[in-house]
Amino acid sequence: MFKQSITNSFILLSAAALSMASCDTKSKEPTTLTTVEAPETYTFTRDGKSTVSFSGQTDRIQMSEELTAAMKANGGATETSLLEMFRNQKADGSDASPFTSESLNSSSKSIKEKVAASKDYYSSNTTESAAIKKQLEDWVKAQATDVFPNWQVLAKSGVAGQIADGDKTRYVSGSGFEYNQLVGKGLIGSLMLDQIANNYLSAVVLDEGTNRTDNENGVVGEGKNYTNMEHKWDEAYGYVFGNSPNPENPLANIEADDDFLNKYLRSVDGDSDFAGIAKEVFDAFKLGRAAIVAGDYELRDQQANIIRERLSKVVGIRAVYYLQKGKEQIEAGNRTGAFHSLSEGVGFTLSLRFTRNPATNSPYLPSQEILAFVEALTKGNGFWEVSPELLGQMSGRIASQFGFTEAQVTN
Amino acid sequence: MIPCCLVLLILAHFGCDSGTDKLPDSKESFDRRAMLQHWADQIIIPSYEHYNSKVTVLHVSTDQFTSSPSIENLMALRTAWKEAYLAWQWVSMYEIGKAEAINFRNFTNIFPTNTEGITKNIKSGNYNLELPSKFAEQGLPALDYLINGLGKDDQVVVNILGSVDYANYLTDLTSRLSNLSNEVLSDWKGGFRDRYIENSGSSGTSSVDKTVNDFMYDYEKFLRAGKIGIPAGVFSGSPIPKAVEARFSPGFSKELFLENLKASQDFFNGIAFGKDGEGVSLKSYLDHLGTEKDGAKLSDLINGQFDKSRETSGLVDSDFAKQVHQDNTQMLKLYDELQKNVILIKVDMMQALNIAVDYVDADGD
Repeated sequence: MFKQSITNSFILLSAAALSMASCDTKSKEPTTLTTVEAPETYTFTRDGKSTVSFSGQTDRIQMSEELTAAMKANGGATETSLLEMFRNQKADGSDASPFTSESLNSSSKSIKEKVAASKDYYSSNTTESAAIKKQLEDWVKAQATDVFPNWQVLAKSGVAGQIADGDKTRYVSGSGFEYNQLVGKGLIGSLMLDQIANNYLSAVVLDEGTNRTDNENGVVGEGKNYTNMEHKWDEAYGYVFGNSPNPENPLANIEADDDFLNKYLRSVDGDSDFAGIAKEVFDAFKLGRAAIVAGDYELRDQQANIIRERLSKVVGIRAVYYLQKGKEQIEAGNRTGAFHSLSEGVGFTLSLRFTRNPATNSPYLPSQEILAFVEALTKGNGFWEVSPELLGQMSGRIASQFGFTEAQVTN
Repeated sequence: MIPCCLVLLILAHFGCDSGTDKLPDSKESFDRRAMLQHWADQIIIPSYEHYNSKVTVLHVSTDQFTSSPSIENLMALRTAWKEAYLAWQWVSMYEIGKAEAINFRNFTNIFPTNTEGITKNIKSGNYNLELPSKFAEQGLPALDYLINGLGKDDQVVVNILGSVDYANYLTDLTSRLSNLSNEVLSDWKGGFRDRYIENSGSSGTSSVDKTVNDFMYDYEKFLRAGKIGIPAGVFSGSPIPKAVEARFSPGFSKELFLENLKASQDFFNGIAFGKDGEGVSLKSYLDHLGTEKDGAKLSDLINGQFDKSRETSGLVDSDFAKQVHQDNTQMLKLYDELQKNVILIKVDMMQALNIAVDYVDADGD
């Protein structure tokens, strides 16, 4: 099912390590390995018990699922209840129970706290962080205030309501936006990718304080079985594979585990031009985690860069895919049919802001350009008037920055 | 009018040795414009005129029934509905131009119909049938429910359907079908026909490309999947008898299937509507190009599969829902035969004609 990539030598190491089912660390005996071997599955233990934990990430993926589903369904959600889902608290800061899942309601996590909140990109950029959070909240609110009331109205330029997309019904704003798509695809970058590429895989975070020496000496957190460094790495893993029913071997089942990074990593993997990318990400996570156990931080950081590059590329590919698809639909005379694609395209375009090019340690396009793209796509009458030429220019620019072609993406 | 290049090829052909190879023809030498004209004037417009007249009769029958609800008028209404539904099978595939712009097929034939939604609409008296969210609450399948599905006893149906709220809804549905049909037919006769024929190039938005894609889409999604595959559980794992077309008229689903199959095959062979004899068509286009597969003419293989599907359907009960219950294997066999033509048409034929498939499965939400 998954084609082997031959671009990285770590594959050879992984192949050699197939006999190892898991990676176990004895707490008192330092192990020195001259060659780091990744286990067959994402299984790491200390004294026979698992050290892998990413419940906060699973919570946020599930919260994002509930939020976007509630936006799409108009089943009684209000501006207040949707914002509570985004914040997991009430407007006055007190505890809220906005989710259908009880465990989410009792979770102390929230989506909002980790949007545009990475150490590398946002620790000294709280202004932009606040602006991104506000942008997402504005979209969440607008679904309730602008679109819900027009649920039984036919949309036209300037009027929110229904459009037909084949035999499906889509619900759009007066500008043609499907807000649940803008938010859902926007969270892929602003929450999940940002936390992975610019926070949990960052050397600043992984090596914070005494993390290195603690890691070497097997010093675990209070009441925990993992070192801080192990945990940070696992939290990155959790934003890709954290909602899998089989997180130790998530790619063994074919279906997507969420509607976010996991889904689109698999979609891109399904394109023959990029086949193998899902396994590359999984293998890099495994090897980097094994490197942490072995104390090989150079190898760890190499794997981090592989993950950054691949996941950023997923976002770039999907941005181009949807912008191109929308362009084709408009050119074929099906403007309203393009709104669904374009809504996804805007969300992924915003997510470009959170990509991480290992060569430059910054996004694949200048952040100002990305935010200008989002503005150009959404200003005025939005999708009712956006020109196919603009969509073509944007997708061409994005593709060239990442180094793939539009043809590879659209096939 | 024969294009000059075609004349040269004809002359050159006579100059060749008899025997094996055909002359290498480029697809540009085939007169696409003539094919479009034949399609428009001999197939598409006559098919729409036929459907339009049937749907007008349907609306008139509705008026007769609502002004005087009786079993006799219910029978007439049922007959009119069946005729309209059969006529629909001849136009379903031409979702181009005005039909495409107004979502003609989605407003006419989305099934299974949403019986709860229909009942809600009738009780509240408040509904906007122009909304996409109401696709499954109107059209021929919704009429099936109202005319055939309100009760086992015909007098019960007459009583319910004759009551004010139901009668209003019934009238709204048939007048809407009539209006939509008029709109599409008027557009064809009022300028679209000329534009359709003139757009005889070979780009993705050309008339030939769009029509062939529509033909393929209808075959795949409505004939193969909608009528057979979905009820037989091919995509869901377990059969869904309720998903058959004309669910409330046991026995009618097979008639509709055979009509759709004939319409599809006749279009392939360029048969003028209501007549025999082949005209310029996809078949003649493929033959012109000398397209073969596994040593046989591709057009023969495609026609062969149409015939095989028809033959295989002989083993299927006229009541598809009953067949699905009793012996789904026969439905699956029919599906498999239909599926073979998907390969021949969607892959082999479209490749030979250099037409790209313009539809993909929608991205899951």
